[in-house]
Amino acid sequence: MSEVMLEGKKLHKSFSDKNGQILAVNNVSFSLEEGEFLGIVGESGSGKSTLLRMMAGLEEVDGGNLYYQHTDYTGDAAKNTGRFLQMIFQDAYASFDPRMKMRDSVMEGVKRKNLKDTSEEKEVEKRLLDLMSGLGLDDSLLEKRPKELSGGQCQRMSILRALLSGAKILLCDEITSALDVVTQNQICKLLQRIGRESNVSIIFVSHDIALVSKFCTKMLVMHEGQVVEEGSTSDVIASPKHPYTRQLISCSRGLSL
Amino acid sequence: MNKEKLKLKIIYVATIAAMIVVLTLFAGFFAPNDPYATSAEGIRMAPSFSYPFGTDNLGRCVFSRVLYGGRTTIGMTFLLVAIAFVIGTFVGMICGYFGGWLDRFLMRIADVTLAFPQMVIAIAVAGILGGGLWGVLLALGITMWVSFARLARSHTYSLKSQPYISAAILSGKSDFYILTKHILPNILAPLLTNALTQIGVTMIGISGLSFLGIGVQAPMAEWGQMIAEARAYIQIAPWAVLFPALAIAITIIVFNYLGDLIMDYREL
Repeated sequence: MSEVMLEGKKLHKSFSDKNGQILAVNNVSFSLEEGEFLGIVGESGSGKSTLLRMMAGLEEVDGGNLYYQHTDYTGDAAKNTGRFLQMIFQDAYASFDPRMKMRDSVMEGVKRKNLKDTSEEKEVEKRLLDLMSGLGLDDSLLEKRPKELSGGQCQRMSILRALLSGAKILLCDEITSALDVVTQNQICKLLQRIGRESNVSIIFVSHDIALVSKFCTKMLVMHEGQVVEEGSTSDVIASPKHPYTRQLISCSRGLSL
Repeated sequence: MNKEKLKLKIIYVATIAAMIVVLTLFAGFFAPNDPYATSAEGIRMAPSFSYPFGTDNLGRCVFSRVLYGGRTTIGMTFLLVAIAFVIGTFVGMICGYFGGWLDRFLMRIADVTLAFPQMVIAIAVAGILGGGLWGVLLALGITMWVSFARLARSHTYSLKSQPYISAAILSGKSDFYILTKHILPNILAPLLTNALTQIGVTMIGISGLSFLGIGVQAPMAEWGQMIAEARAYIQIAPWAVLFPALAIAITIIVFNYLGDLIMDYREL
């Protein structure tokens, strides 16, 4: 059995607004194994994005614990969690400083290691170019600004930035929902390949159950802050237990009960 | 209006603004006469070739004094706007980025400052300090940083939730790095526009205080102070009031118009 990379136990998060407290994440537990492609499905407001931001340390955890390779990192700031996980965001364009060249943006994660000697610098440059060609990106894009790229190219750049930083876990927050269907498929296949080849574990949050069922090996279904169903993708799709999952499946194109 | 036309217009107005600045900054080069030299024979002379704007009650060249006065007014304005810009932006960025009690504390101070009309505070402070250059700067500066601080705060606050800031945090970047490399360059444009519109307000403030006698003191040339001095004999030598007044009006209109145009341009 492969090693557990990321684990969450009984996670809670609530927000207060004018109507009182809202439980965004309610008693959620999950585990992610090495090289696994885990999908989290749910409608908007189901708490899936909040859960992801909690894992990254971008959102405070109200209750429960988070573990990276069995070490508790609950409450660690995002500054430190970035060492082992990186997030990829829904809005690819907004993921890059509009005033920065792509090269400077993607190198941000690397520069923390203080590239002093030139040989190390060369090595990073080589890795960067290798990743670029691996992701099907032209080198010239590095000198451009986000506005000059297409949505798909920009999203690949986000993936590149995450991989370049050496992260072992990628947290993808609705990363394909702003892309067309063809690009959507390409990005997902790319993630699948990255997972296999570089042993990177991926959590893929989406509202599109058809997409998740196509690429993910395991899935969680979230509804109103709670996990209502979990298991291997084939089991969940073949025999959904919770009425909400059934509803999701019946509403989506390409899937049938 | 289309963007190209507007751009051209901005270039024209900016050129005029630049001309005003150059004319007054190099007043020593352009002024035909010594602005402080009095002459008993040449009192209140009408505009002529050697005295283009005439002379005042003490026989001083009004044209030269307008140029030198502009240096005082415009120089002080730029200095004051620059200081307010730096302090206000710094405070606003800190408040917007970190939030918490410091944000609440500083913003309440800003609210209290805004509760009083700017000119009333300025008159009170300048009056207590007894006028002079530094008194004016302090009197107007007390309230001026607020507009920059509020603007910087709201822009910083909305930028903070942008994914690229989250990405930078996840890349292990320090708060200082994020504030200087990501936030400042992206909020600079609205702040600079605000600075341009503040120039007009500040000029009125400086000239107004000097006109009231609690700003720049005689014999130093300053537009508001020149008007105050010459207004006593306005029927005999209207040019001594007219030209400094025109200089104030034109300068303020040019800078305000420039600010408005740039604001429009940015919204297009």
